Amino acid sequence: MPGLAQTLFITASGAGMNLRPHHFILWALFIAGMLLMPELVGRGTLRTMVFACYLAIFAISWDILSGRTGYISFGHPFLVGIGAYTTAILTRRYGFPVEASIPIAVLVTMFGGLIVLLPALRIKGSYFALVTLAVMELMYQLVPVVRPDLTGGTRGISRLPALTRGAENGYYLAVCLMLAVALFAWLLMRTRLGTALWAIGQNEESVRGSGLSTTRLKSFAFLVSAAIAGLGGAFYAHYLGTITPRAFFDINVLFQIIVAVLIGGAGTILGPIIGAFFMVFLLEWLRPFLPGQERFFVYGAIALLIYMYQPKGIMAIIESGITRLRGART
Amino acid sequence: MLQIIIQGLLLSGLYALIAMGFMLIFSIGRTLNLAYGAYIMVGGYIYFWLSQQLGLPKLIGFAGAVAVGAIMGLLKHRLIVKPLKGDPVAVEISTLILAVIMQSAVVLVFGDASKILLPIIPGVVTISGAQVTYNIVAATLMSWVIILALYAFIRGTHTGRAMQAVSMDQKGAAISGVDPDRINMITWAISGGLGAAGGVFFASYTQLSPGMWVAPVIISVAIVIVGGIGSIIGTLIVAHIIGFLEIIVVAVWAPELRGVFTMLLIIGVLIMRPQGLFGREEH
Repeated sequence: MPGLAQTLFITASGAGMNLRPHHFILWALFIAGMLLMPELVGRGTLRTMVFACYLAIFAISWDILSGRTGYISFGHPFLVGIGAYTTAILTRRYGFPVEASIPIAVLVTMFGGLIVLLPALRIKGSYFALVTLAVMELMYQLVPVVRPDLTGGTRGISRLPALTRGAENGYYLAVCLMLAVALFAWLLMRTRLGTALWAIGQNEESVRGSGLSTTRLKSFAFLVSAAIAGLGGAFYAHYLGTITPRAFFDINVLFQIIVAVLIGGAGTILGPIIGAFFMVFLLEWLRPFLPGQERFFVYGAIALLIYMYQPKGIMAIIESGITRLRGART
Repeated sequence: MLQIIIQGLLLSGLYALIAMGFMLIFSIGRTLNLAYGAYIMVGGYIYFWLSQQLGLPKLIGFAGAVAVGAIMGLLKHRLIVKPLKGDPVAVEISTLILAVIMQSAVVLVFGDASKILLPIIPGVVTISGAQVTYNIVAATLMSWVIILALYAFIRGTHTGRAMQAVSMDQKGAAISGVDPDRINMITWAISGGLGAAGGVFFASYTQLSPGMWVAPVIISVAIVIVGGIGSIIGTLIVAHIIGFLEIIVVAVWAPELRGVFTMLLIIGVLIMRPQGLFGREEH
């Protein structure tokens, strides 16, 4: 049986990708549009967009595991938090340069996720969701207590080295990271591996029946998801400059990630991005009226309505709208 | 030593009460009802509003909290669970969204700051050097009364037995002339009422804050899963295991580690034995 990396190589280099010219054109337009943003909008909007980009990265990470395979993870803030804490501890406490600490943070996130959550892939449905939720809550309780000299306790770690200066550079970094992650996820999902992951979400038994190792596929999805979450978490920590346990291991963070995916459209690449931008801008727009956590009331109500109306999210609503328009014309 | 036993018994009684309502829903639809925390929170706040802000008698406050909880449970079933046709993932996620909505609604109405609930029954008794408030004793006694009543209801009445039947096999129950829809509604209402009642006691044990719902939900989840789905006795036993575990950790080790072992227990049991310690096998 060929190894996973080999399978990946074969499928990627083979005809399975099915890339067409219009794909390249659409991607180029999308990337150019995102990169032109600093010319079009003000600084404040750019800062909001940076948050949206990071949320989109976390959302894509969640979608690769949960949106495709149907294994709902309630523990993604845990992965993001490991990435953020690893790079924070390495740079602030041990004086690592950022170039070294971020790759290490990604590896640690993959490894940490592997130890904690891989056994959980044995169980299904609500049980998997529960274990991941419990792991997140466990981390929240452990981080301030274990070695507070390293983690900074409940007050967290502040004055992390910044990667960029100014709103524009911060935006370029975040948007490039998001575009890279999105492109990678898009390419990955066009391989046969991506198809297999999606098939697990449809019917796991029949995937196993066709001779594929579902455990291996799920582990792979999990590792990719963890790596992206760790990467996003590490960059996000340096962007924020300060991290606290409540800012990462919290049910509100989980809510934002999951809702971004669901109202955007699970199982797509553009969906989580749309969802993340929709969420961050709506919350920002509500800020003058409702300054605090109350904003989530309006936001949650809208999210619930969209979700009840169309569980496949905004993407599906747009698509059905386009088909309806086309149908009206012909 | 005696102090640990007393405090352990008191906390466990409270946990058992909170877990009961969650267990009912989880056993009937395998639904991870994260909005259960919202009943707990809303129950606490309604009681606070009626009895402390409006100055009504405590009994009315308590009844009001239970009624609102039951109505919330009913509405939840009508408006969310039924339209989603029992798709567990969709229900789970919609309950998560609903829980966050309720949390922000509480912030909107009562503000962000946490509130102290006056003791339901004031007074303190000292047992072998341990200060035990009448309040928590009353809470534990009440939760035992409620638990026993629930047990009698489920075992003794026709509706209760129908609830059990639906939780085992929905189709089979329907064939034997039970209306699963009606039973589901009743179960959601009872669960909401129990959650609100548990919330009043839980809030008087700790305090009222918009984020108070997360910990009890995870604890009830832990108790129900570890105890085994649909097993009242299992729920009771595990509520005591977790209650005592927490009290012992706090007394012997460090208060900060209180929740750590509970989480480790739930993760371990879920991975090793997903059907729980006292549950029936799932197919």
